[in-house]
Amino acid sequence: MADMMFISRHRPLALLAAAVLAQVMLLAYQIKREHDVRLLRYWAAEVVTPTGRAGTWGFSRVAGVWEGYFALHHAHVENEQLKAELGELQLRNRELESQAAEGQRLAGLLSFHEAHPETSMLAAQVIDASADPASRTMFINRGDRDHIRRNMGVITPEGIVGKIVETYPTKSEVLLISDKDSGVGALLADTRTHGVVKGGGDSGPHLDYVVNDEKVHAGEVVVTSGEDRIFPKDLLVGKVAEFHPGNPFQVIRVAPAVRLDRLEDVLVLLTQQEIAPKKADDTSAAASPSATEDIVQTETVPTGSPITLPAGTNPEAPAANASKPATTTGAPAIGSNMRGAKPVPSKSVPPKASGTDRQKSSQESAGSTPHQ
Amino acid sequence: MASVLNPTAQSESNIEVHRFYSGAVIAVAFLALILQAFLHKYGTWSELVDLPLLVTIYFGVSRRNPVSGLLLGAAIGLTQDALSHDNPIGLYGIAKTLVGYVASSVGARIDTEHPLSRFALVFVLFHFQQVILAIMDRVLLNHPAPMFTLRLLLSSFATAAAGVVLFALLDRLRRSS
Repeated sequence: MADMMFISRHRPLALLAAAVLAQVMLLAYQIKREHDVRLLRYWAAEVVTPTGRAGTWGFSRVAGVWEGYFALHHAHVENEQLKAELGELQLRNRELESQAAEGQRLAGLLSFHEAHPETSMLAAQVIDASADPASRTMFINRGDRDHIRRNMGVITPEGIVGKIVETYPTKSEVLLISDKDSGVGALLADTRTHGVVKGGGDSGPHLDYVVNDEKVHAGEVVVTSGEDRIFPKDLLVGKVAEFHPGNPFQVIRVAPAVRLDRLEDVLVLLTQQEIAPKKADDTSAAASPSATEDIVQTETVPTGSPITLPAGTNPEAPAANASKPATTTGAPAIGSNMRGAKPVPSKSVPPKASGTDRQKSSQESAGSTPHQ
Repeated sequence: MASVLNPTAQSESNIEVHRFYSGAVIAVAFLALILQAFLHKYGTWSELVDLPLLVTIYFGVSRRNPVSGLLLGAAIGLTQDALSHDNPIGLYGIAKTLVGYVASSVGARIDTEHPLSRFALVFVLFHFQQVILAIMDRVLLNHPAPMFTLRLLLSSFATAAAGVVLFALLDRLRRSS
C-alpha cells in the first residue's frame, strides 16, 4: 500500500525511469559487443550468472549441511559394511602375502633342487615342533610312506637343519643342529680344520675339538665335513660367531646359517651324495680337494632307504670307511650323536681315539638310533 | 500519446499552464523532424540547430507537465533515431526523454517567458543533451564521444538563438484561456 502511494506520488519520475529503461533495453538489443553478442544478452548474462552462482553456492552449502549432518542415517550401515569389507580385504591380503612368501620359499627349494639334480631330495613342510622346551626338534609332513628313514639329513638352500631321528607313517621328527644331543661333522672352510658342531641347547651350536693352536677368526664359514655319513660335505653349517681359548679345546660358538626357529619348508636328503657348489659365491662353503682327500666320499644311503644305489656301492661301506683316520685335527669319527665319542686333541692320537671307537661311532650313525 | 499530449490535460494547479490548439503539438513536432532532415541536405549549417530539441524544450516548459514532457521527448527522440542513418534506436530517444522531463520540471519553477531565460534554458539543455549522448556513446556504444567541443559550443549558441525566435513563433499557437 505504501509502495503504491509512493509510486503515485512520484509518478512522473517512475514514468521517466520506465521510459529510459525501456529505451536502454531497446538500445541494448541493437548493440552488439565482442563476439557478436547483443548487449542485452551480455547484461542478462552478467546479471544472471552471479545470481546463479550464488544460488548454486547456497544450494550446495545447504545440501552439504543436510548430507553432512542430517542425512547420515545410512552412514552407520555403510560404515559397518565398509569395515566388514575392509576386514575381508585385509584377510585376503594376508592370505595372498602368505601365499607369495610360500611361493618364494618353494621357488628357492625348487631352484636348489634343480641346481643339484644328482642328489635325491624330498621337499617337506614343517608341521609342528617339540612340546619339550629343552629339546630342539620339529616334525615334518613326510614319513615312512614317503620313504623317509632315520638319519637322513634335513637341509634348506641356506644350510643344514638337522637329521631325521624318528619316522612315522606320515610324518617324521627332525633333530635340529641346535639340540644338545646333536652332533655334525664340520670343518672350518678357511683352514680346513675339522671338528664337531654340537648343539648347545639354549647357548646355541658350537664347534668342538679344535685345538687352541688353530687360528680361527670371527665370521669364518663352517661347513659339513661329510664324516658323519648324514650330510654330504661342504654344506653350509654357519659362521663363527665368537671364540676363545678353552681347555683343552677352543670354545667356538657357531651362528647357524639357517633360522632354525623360522623354518617352514625344508629338503630331506635321500642320499649322502656330495652336493657340489654351482656358483662362484658358494665357494665360501666349498672345500679344497686336497683337504678332503681323506674324507669319506662314498655315497651313503641310510638303512631302509628306497633310493637306488649306484653299481658297486656297498651299503656297509660307511662303517668300514669310518674306521679310517678321520682328520688331521685328530677329531673322533663323527656320528650323528657324539655322545660317547672321545675327543682327541689335534695332531695327536690318544689311545681312546682308536679306529675301533670311530668305527663303532660310525656304525651307530649309519644304522642305529643314536639318541636312544 | 495523443491523450497525454491533449491540451486539456491537467497540470499543477498553482502554475500557469499553456494550452495549444488540438494537434498543434504533434504537427509542430512532425514539422520540426521533417525540416531537420530536409535542411540537412542543403548544407552542414543546418546541423548547428537542433529543431527537435527546441520543440521538446518549448512544449515541455509550456505545458509544465513532466509526464507529457518526457513522453513527447521520447517520441521525438525515437523518431529522430528512426530517421537517422546509423544511430541505434533509442539514443536520441533517451536523451530527449530526459530533456523533456527536465524542461517540464524547470518550467514549473522559473520564468521561461523572457527571451534571455529561454536562451539560457536552451543553451543549458543543449549541453545537457550532449552530455547524455556522450555518456551513452561511451557506455553503450563504446565510442569515445567528446562531451564538449568548439563546434558543440557554436551549435549550442545557434540553437539557443534559434530557440528564442522559434519559441516566439510557437507562442502564437497557444490557446487563450
